[in-house]
Amino acid sequence: MSSVNSVGEEVARKNEGGTDMGTTVSTSTNRNSEIEMVMLENISKVYYGNKINGNNSKVNSSRNSSTVLLEHIVLDNLNLRITKGEFVTIVGPSGCGKSTLLNILAGIDTSYTGRILIDGAPIEKSPDTDRIIIFQEGALFPWLTVYENIDFGLKIAKISKEKRREIVMHYIDMVQLTCFAHAFVHQLSGGMKQRVAIARALVLNPKILLMDEPFAALDVQTRRMLYDQLVRIHEKTNKTIIFVTHNINEAVALGDRAIVMSAKIAGIKKEFIIDLPRPRQLDHPLINSITSAIIEESKEMYISDSSFTRNNINYRDDRPELELGSLRPQLA
Amino acid sequence: MQKIQDNNQLRSSLKEAKSNGKKRISLHDLANITLFIAVFIGIWQLVYVLHIWPEVSLPSPVKVGESFVDMLENLTLITSIGMTMYRLVIGFGISIVIGVVVGLSMVKFPGFGKTMSSFAVGLQSFPSVAWVPFAILLIGLNDAGILFVVIMSSVFSVIISTYSGIQNISPLYIRAAKNMGAKGISLFRFVMIPASTPSMLVGIKQAWSFAWHALIGAEILIAASIGLGHVLLVGREFQLMDQVIASMITIFAIGLLFDRVLFSKLEERVRERWGLDQGIER
Repeated sequence: MSSVNSVGEEVARKNEGGTDMGTTVSTSTNRNSEIEMVMLENISKVYYGNKINGNNSKVNSSRNSSTVLLEHIVLDNLNLRITKGEFVTIVGPSGCGKSTLLNILAGIDTSYTGRILIDGAPIEKSPDTDRIIIFQEGALFPWLTVYENIDFGLKIAKISKEKRREIVMHYIDMVQLTCFAHAFVHQLSGGMKQRVAIARALVLNPKILLMDEPFAALDVQTRRMLYDQLVRIHEKTNKTIIFVTHNINEAVALGDRAIVMSAKIAGIKKEFIIDLPRPRQLDHPLINSITSAIIEESKEMYISDSSFTRNNINYRDDRPELELGSLRPQLA
Repeated sequence: MQKIQDNNQLRSSLKEAKSNGKKRISLHDLANITLFIAVFIGIWQLVYVLHIWPEVSLPSPVKVGESFVDMLENLTLITSIGMTMYRLVIGFGISIVIGVVVGLSMVKFPGFGKTMSSFAVGLQSFPSVAWVPFAILLIGLNDAGILFVVIMSSVFSVIISTYSGIQNISPLYIRAAKNMGAKGISLFRFVMIPASTPSMLVGIKQAWSFAWHALIGAEILIAASIGLGHVLLVGREFQLMDQVIASMITIFAIGLLFDRVLFSKLEERVRERWGLDQGIER
């Protein structure tokens, strides 16, 4: 197994961008180490919509005092720090910006303001393979077998065939899909597909594993099995995991830290630290109480306040049928 | 390792079962086809016997069969099929290469892509015979002229299907691939081409039938000295209807053969891999 680790380091070294921070494959299992893996500073993202004048007319670019562009603030000055090896879950209702945040971290979305540091280096300088994202639908390539899918990233990185075989088989064994190494993707069940997606991400030895509601489409039994596997993988590889979900129980059961996001404030509402050793009972009283606490918080998020003030502008939500987060500034 | 071997054994026995299933069904198909052909020849013989057309215009099936045997004996059949096939393979091959290259550049340069797209759709259904006078004047009354017509008739199908195939790839695959480090050429090679293969196959199949179509027409019009088109021409010149019908049947048979042997197999392979054949009951 040590030979595999050294190859893993080789992959990490190959993936190094312009950063001088050195390889991060550390054998330390001290999860309380102060190495900061992700630093998000004042991240904001806004969508601009069409001018609304009672009827839906097209965008008018003239800066007339009577025309107003509808802003949809997705993220508003979000700040977050995540340490190396932490298993962070981000939970919130649909539309709160959690998937957007993940896309920004993965490098898929580049239109935002603010600063992001990955392992000390600015995000532009760090290669995409440092932060591999696992999608809800898996996004496995249907024209490849399980083995070839997992092999994909290594093939792109031009690693030799023998070394690839070693690494790929190691991770296929880790997700317990050895019998299905040469099956086609359509022959797999949903849970198996996600396991392949996880293995496909892990072979590239990323610094951060980004998971966007990966188990949302799966049944409860499969999910529980996958929680187990994911936690074991986390123990084994000590990767930093950022796990987005809308399932509050899942978020609390899995994470070291559960971050609750809200669409109304377009950012982080509250953080809960779950200081429980693993393996955890899914119905542990602490988990249940934190889950209830988060649900209580969420109830607040759904009560529509008729008005609130931000940045000295009075927002009046006089159209309650609009989605949370879409507000019209009151004209002076 | 043991488990992988078991898996392989399982797969091969599954494959056997599948193909046995196929064999059983195609025996049934074979019976249907034979029946169909028998009925067809029966009607033909009837029309002949009833003298609806004079013997010179419509020979009996037997006469056509004799003509077949003649052509086989004096090697006309072999040489003409050979020559025609040779032109087809070259023309079609060049068509695919040009088509894929142009299709890929259309994706790379979106401005070019948009304009070329409408251009290609328009030219795709341009009648192949209409290219002939142009080819004769530009290139000449020779093989190169024939190839020109073949290429112009089929290349646009390949261009369009390559372009739309790549455009219609689910962006999820591209995102996932880029996230794993694929960019530029490796993105094209390892993601875009395989992902657009089902679409490209459709285009290549269509291009093939256009090419075959155009080839025989060009052989006739550009008066090729050897080839199936030439045999048709000679038949008309000397009023040898039996030879004409025999060559028509040959042309039809080759088209059919190519489709069953080459394209269907290819399509089947792709559909099996992608799991697209799961919805159909066997």
